[in-house]
Amino acid sequence: MPSAVDPTPKAASAVELEPGAPSDVDLMLGIQSGDADALSQLYDRYNGIVKALILRIIHNETEADDLLQEVFMEIWNQAKNFSPQKGKPLGWMVTLTRRRAIDALRKRQAYARAAERLQAEPEQQPLAWVENVTEREVEAGDTRVLMAKMINSLPEAQQQVIELAFFQGMSQREIAFHTNIPLGTVKTRLELGLKKIYDGLKELKDEL
Amino acid sequence: MSFEEFQNCARLYVIGALEPEELQDFEAARKQYGSAAEDFINQCYGLHEAFALSLKPAKASDAIKERLMSMVRERSQGQSGSHPA
Repeated sequence: MPSAVDPTPKAASAVELEPGAPSDVDLMLGIQSGDADALSQLYDRYNGIVKALILRIIHNETEADDLLQEVFMEIWNQAKNFSPQKGKPLGWMVTLTRRRAIDALRKRQAYARAAERLQAEPEQQPLAWVENVTEREVEAGDTRVLMAKMINSLPEAQQQVIELAFFQGMSQREIAFHTNIPLGTVKTRLELGLKKIYDGLKELKDEL
Repeated sequence: MSFEEFQNCARLYVIGALEPEELQDFEAARKQYGSAAEDFINQCYGLHEAFALSLKPAKASDAIKERLMSMVRERSQGQSGSHPA
C-alpha cells in the first residue's frame, strides 16, 4: 500500500513571522485555554486571508466583514475541537470559513444569482481566479504567489470546475448542469486538477 | 477500489464534491485502508490551505476586530462570573 506524503509546508505558520513570534499552533493552544490575546494575534495574522476567502464565495463586502467576525468568534468557541495531530491551524480555519461562507451563500438565497453570474463570467473573464504572476515574484518566494502560480498553471477547464466546487460549493451534478459539461467530464477535470495541485504542493514543500 | 482511486476520491471528498452514490464506496475503501486512508484525507485538507493562500488578502474594517474582541471579553467575563456561589 502506498504511503501518504504530507504535501503541505512544514513552517510554523503559513505567513512569515517575526523572530520569536508564537507559532499558529501556540496561538491555537492559547485560544483553547481562553487567552483572548492569542485570538487577537491570530486575527492579525490571518484576517486578510480569511476575508479574501469569504469574499471569493459571497461577493459582498459588508456581508464579508460580518461573516469574518462570526468566523473568528466561532474559532474562539470551537477551538477545543482543533487538534494539531490532525492538521494545521490555517487548514482548520479555512475549512471552517469555507463551510460558513457557503452556508451563508445558500441561506441568503443568493446561490442562484451567483450561479447565473458565474455561468456568464467564464466567457467574459476566463478564470480571474488569481492575478497574473511574474517570474520575479515567483523567485521572491512569496507563498501566495507560489500557490497562485501553481493554480494558474492548470488548464482553464480544470480551474473552472475547481472554482465552482471549492468556492461555490457545487456538487459534480450542479457543475455539470450549470456548465453543460457531461458529468463524467466534470469528474475527470476535478480529479486531474486537484491531483496536480496536490502534487504541486508536495514539490513546493521544501521551498516554503 | 485501488488506493490510487481512493486518493482521487479523497481529494474530491475534502472539498465536498463527492456525489452521494460515490460516498458509500469511498467509506468502504476508507475502512479498508485504515490509518493510511485517514492520514491521506488529513493531508488532503492542505488543498484548502492552498486555495486560500492563492487569494490576495483582503482588508477588513478596523471596527470588526474591536467588535470581535469586545464580544470575546464579554463572553469570558460572563463565564467567569457565572460560577455558583
